Formats: sequence, structure tokens, C-alpha cells
Amino acid sequence: MKKFLALLLALCMIFSLAACGGSTESAAPESSAPSSTAPEGDTVDLVLWTYPVGTLADNLDGVIAAFNEVHPEINISYELLDYQNGDTKVTSAIQGGTAPDLIFEGPERLVGNWGRNGLMVDLADLWAEDAAGDISTGVAEASQLDGAYYMYPLSVTAHSMAINYEAFEAAGALQYIDEETRTWTTDDFVAAMAAVRDAIDAGTINVITPGIVYCGAQGGDQGTRALVNNLYSGYFTQEDGTAYTADSEENIKALELLKTMVDDGSLDANLSFAAADELQAFANQTCAVTFCWNYSNYVSYAEQTQFTPFVMAFPSDDGVPELEMGMYGFGIFDNGDDAKVEAAKEFIRFVCNDADTAAECIRYTGFFPVHSDMGDVYEGTDEAELKEPFALMSTYLGRFYNLTDGWTEQCALWWPMLQQIFSGTDIQTAVTDYVTQANANIG
Amino acid sequence: MAQTTVAAPAERKPKKPKRSQFSGMSKALVRRETISAYLFLLPSLVFFIGFVVVPMVICVVYSFMEYSMKGIEGFAGFDNYIRMFQDKTFIRSFWNTVFIVVVAVPTVTAFSLWVSSAIYKMKAFTRSFFRCVFYLPVVTGTVAVTVVWKWIFNAYYGILNQVAGTTGFDWLGNEKTAIWCIIMILFTTSIGQPIVLYVAALGNVDKSLIEAAEVDGATNFQVFWKIKWPQIMPTTLYILVITTINSFQCFALIQLLTSGGPNSSTTTIMYYIFDMVYKFNDFGYANAMGVILALIIAVFSALQFRITKSN
Repeated sequence: MKKFLALLLALCMIFSLAACGGSTESAAPESSAPSSTAPEGDTVDLVLWTYPVGTLADNLDGVIAAFNEVHPEINISYELLDYQNGDTKVTSAIQGGTAPDLIFEGPERLVGNWGRNGLMVDLADLWAEDAAGDISTGVAEASQLDGAYYMYPLSVTAHSMAINYEAFEAAGALQYIDEETRTWTTDDFVAAMAAVRDAIDAGTINVITPGIVYCGAQGGDQGTRALVNNLYSGYFTQEDGTAYTADSEENIKALELLKTMVDDGSLDANLSFAAADELQAFANQTCAVTFCWNYSNYVSYAEQTQFTPFVMAFPSDDGVPELEMGMYGFGIFDNGDDAKVEAAKEFIRFVCNDADTAAECIRYTGFFPVHSDMGDVYEGTDEAELKEPFALMSTYLGRFYNLTDGWTEQCALWWPMLQQIFSGTDIQTAVTDYVTQANANIG
Repeated sequence: MAQTTVAAPAERKPKKPKRSQFSGMSKALVRRETISAYLFLLPSLVFFIGFVVVPMVICVVYSFMEYSMKGIEGFAGFDNYIRMFQDKTFIRSFWNTVFIVVVAVPTVTAFSLWVSSAIYKMKAFTRSFFRCVFYLPVVTGTVAVTVVWKWIFNAYYGILNQVAGTTGFDWLGNEKTAIWCIIMILFTTSIGQPIVLYVAALGNVDKSLIEAAEVDGATNFQVFWKIKWPQIMPTTLYILVITTINSFQCFALIQLLTSGGPNSSTTTIMYYIFDMVYKFNDFGYANAMGVILALIIAVFSALQFRITKSN
């Protein structure tokens, strides 16, 4: 009897462990669409992963439900990634052969990383269907690599910065900005930040530091990149994408200026802050400017900001900023299942090209349409007035260089280079070292 | 901090007369016992082979490959290993790792022993209270613990700067202080388990020996050194090994607090492996570093076994 019980126990253990193992299959994503009523043989199950872009993920249930009214045979479950751990999760899934079918992100990852490595499906047919051809050349170029379209875009924005309007006003620094065009020159920027510093020192404003150049991690690196590039109108890469040019005369000069400003207290360099920390500091009024602003961040921090976050372009020597484009859309992982690929394309058509759904989804992302014929999707909404300055920023878009080969690797090298500079390493040495390593990943 | 699940070693037992394990058993009974034993072992064995042995073998194989996001691109021979010793960041991460281990392991062990010695004689309720207090950081999620510490260390509104009167000082952004911050948090999350183990081990020390020594006029130090210390040596060895492994594998704290910075001053081998995999997609090189890390841990553990056994 004892032996029998022992055997039974052992079998129970085996089956319970097997059940644990099986749970990965049933590990349901955070939410899923209503089940299809179509016959089981005809249904297609898709997995969608999305990075946090505005409030799109919060509203996906509704979008999928609307899609299922038209396509009840396609079941879509989704999962929200975050920028801290999302890449880790996707890389692990790719290596484990469990990549999602659909993913929502920007061209840096969809095209420059996964597309370049042959992991994505060419969406040229979706682009060919776009008979209106009303997507700008810049957006189209950013969606493809060597003629293969790895991304179908939904919305676009310009990454900008913002100032604490009331703090600037109290510090007498508003005189240095053009409130109508929301631009300023490099000299104006230097003068404005000095004015804010003096106001802090005099106790006129209750802010701890004028601004923070964050370089504690990779998150939000577009902000510090755009700041450096704009100050003296430098470029980050060669136009043909053959080399990184952070060591150009203009960029070195910009880094020297930032170092000087940190030394004189009109900026602070924080070697343990990433963009999220800096944004929180801006919202808390710890600092008076943020270098990582867009409408999505405005929405995220709206409840915390007890002041007016005034959107501004990055300062440039000629007063003509060139902002970095933020573009978001869908890509399809090539998981070797044609039925899933076709189903995924149906979903993309529904979200990006269906006039009503696309407008709604664009509003969820908080950005602007890539289709020029969609016009102003915010017209007549409560957000229309708030959107105006962000729409203005989109007119300052500069060259899109984020598809340069080795982009992912350079991102991991950029912020350590800033750390070196702000902790005393010779600027030329640090930048040369960075460019050498970044260029080694090209080709 | 990930906790190992290895069971604590049994306390030293008095020697028994040697006797055959199967004496008095028929062959059929022995066979049935053996089969039952293997059946009990089977689930663990399957998982051990599937999730430990196989990945280890794959890791060693991939360490000799050129392996990127595109897949295996060719045989690299010893290139990944040679590159490691020419890579300044790897060398720095190696020394950072050794520094963390050398500081954290003795400190955690000594402090745990001191606390346990102080509380193991207390009333059951008080003893449980202290064990709970020291164990709390272990059961609290690493992310939650790290977020709290991040607030404490914040340069602008952190409580540490308020208390120390060093407003604006960036503890995590300074090369000289960042690694000490990591060690301090590692310390708080590592002492819980050793304290619980030491309290149990000290409670099991043969009281008659202690009483006899006290009657003979032994001092407290002599009682500890000559009677308690030898009897808690197996527990000490276990604590040394698990703390060493945890310190070598310290990752989450670094990822959440400093991302290995500033200037690689908190980059450990474990964190550098993560960087290589998820930021540089250089899987072959990362696997080679994994092999070296495993060897280093093995050497450290073997040394600890040797030293403590010789005592």
C-alpha cells in the first residue's frame, strides 16, 4: 500500500510539473479580444505586442472589438511592452522562436534592427495598395530598407523639448524665446538658462536646477542627441549613412558648450538619470526644462504638472531647428505562417487605412497622421488647441538618420560617452572613441 | 536578489556504527526501493537536465560561434575568449565583480553571525520579530526595494542628501560612490537568509558542551570559538557559497539603479553579458563570458570549500 501511494505521489508530481510547464502556452496576454464565433478551422490567432505609444494600448480592446465585427475569424491577443525591458523580451522571443506576429513601434526597431536582420515580412504590397500615395517621402523612406518595406506607419511626431513657462517668466527668461515660432538661438538658450540659474540662486523661483542633461541610461536618448546636433547645426551621421559624425566640429563645439554650462551651473549633468527620471524632475519642478518632450509625455505627466509645460524646439545657432522624427507603425514578424501574415495585414489595413479607425487610433497615439489626406484628426475635439504647438514642431522635422547601420549598438554607446564627458574625460577623446566604436558596427 | 533554493546542509550528527545500507533486505525489495527512489527523483532530474545541463552545454557550444541576431554565422574558435581579455570593459567588469564579492561576502557573513548570536537566545516572539525584520528585504520584490533606494539616493530630493547635508550630490552618478551604493543594497537584501540559517544552527549547538566549558571557566569568546564555531561550520560554508553566487550574479540592482554606469564603474560580468545580448546582440561573445563567469564562481566556491574544510 505504501509503495502504491509513493508511486501515486510521484505520478502526481510529474503531472503537476507538466501542468506548470504547459502554463506558458496558456499564459494569456494581459487582455484579449472577444472570441470569434467563426468555425474553429477558419480562425487565425494573432499575437500583437505594442510599445507604449500614447494611450493606444489602453484602447486596444475597443479597436480589436471593432475589427472583429468585420473579421470575426481573426482573434487578436495583445501585450504591452515597456521601453525599459521591451527589447529584452522581444530579443528573447526571437531567439526562442516565439516572436509575436504583429508589433507596434518605430522604424529604429522595426526596420533598422529586426528588418535589417531579416526577421520581418516585406509589406510592399500594403504600400502598393495605398493608391492615394499621400504618405510623405520622408516617412516612406524611413519605413523601408533596400526597397523592402518593414513598417506600415500610423502616426508621426517631432521630438521636442519644453520649458516651465511660469519659471521662465519669473526668471525673466521669456525674452530669449520666440513664443510664436517656439524657437530660440543657441545664444538665447545660454542666456535663458543663465537667467533661470540666477533666479534659482536668488530664490525667485522654487526650482532646484535649471535643466538636467540626463545620461544614466539609454531611454530618451533622442533628446540629448537632438540637443547636441542642433546647438551648432551638426549632423549625427553622413547623409548617405556610411558613418557616424558625432565627432564633427559642430558637435564637438556643442558638447563643449554643454560642458561649460554644466560647469557654470546653468545646466546639471546627471549620470544616473534616464529620460523618465528627468521628465519626473520636470513635472516635480526640480528642473525648469526637459529635453524629452512630445504629446505622449505631455499626456503622461499632465496630472502632475502644476505649471504650463511650454513646448519648444531645440535651440540652434541659426534659429532653424531640425527635430528628430518619431514615427510609429506596424511590422509583421516572419513566423513562416502565411495565413497569419495575411490576417496581420488585414488588421494593419483596418487600423491604418480605415478612415474612422485610423483617425481614432492616431488620436490615441497622441501624434499626427502620416496620410496627408486625413487632414487634422483633432479638429473639433477638446485636444485641438493643445495639439497646435505639437503640430508646429512637426514643421521643423530634420533628416531622419535613425536607420543608419549599427544604430542599436550606437544607442548603447551614446550615453556612456556623455557620462565620460561630464565626469571629466577629454571631449575629443571620448567622442572619437564613441565614433570609432559606432562606425565599427556599420556594414 | 534571486535566492538559491539549495537546501541547507544537515547539522553534524554523532557517528554511528557502520552498517550496510541494504542489510537484511531481499534483492527484490532493494530493486523496488531503487525504482521508487528513481521515480521520486525523475521530475527533478528531467527539469535539472532540461533547464540546467542542456543550457550549460548549449552555452559552451555557442561560445565558440559567431552568433548574432541573424543566427549562427560561423565558427569563431577561441576568438570570443581572446577578445574578452582584450576588452577593457570586460576587464573592468571582472574587477568590479570581484570587488563586490570580496566586500559583500565577508560582510554579510560576519554581520549575519553577529545578529544571530545576539538574537538566538531571545524569547521566541522577539527572535521571530527580528528574523522577520531582517528577512523583509528578501521577500520584498527587488524592483520595489530598488525604487525606494533610488529615492533615497536621489541627488535633488533624496533623503540621504537631506540627512548628510550634501544636497545635489549624485551618489549613483559618481564613480567612487556608485559601487558602494550597490554593495549596500546588496547587503540589505542578502542578510535575511543567513540570519535565519545561523539562528537555527546556533540553536542546534550541543548545550551540554557549552555548559561543560562554562563550568571549566571558558570565556564567552572561547565558548564561541572552540564549541559553537566548529559546529556551525557547515552552515557557514553554505552561507559563503550562496552569498558568493548571489554576489557574482548581482544584476537587477545594477540594471535598475545605474545601468552599469557611470563609466562602467558598476558594470559586473553578469550585467555586461546582458548588455552584449540585448544591446549589442553579440550572443557568441556573451556566451563565452557566461562560461568564464561560471568557471570563476566554481573556483571561488572550491576555494571556500577547501578553506572551510581544512578548518
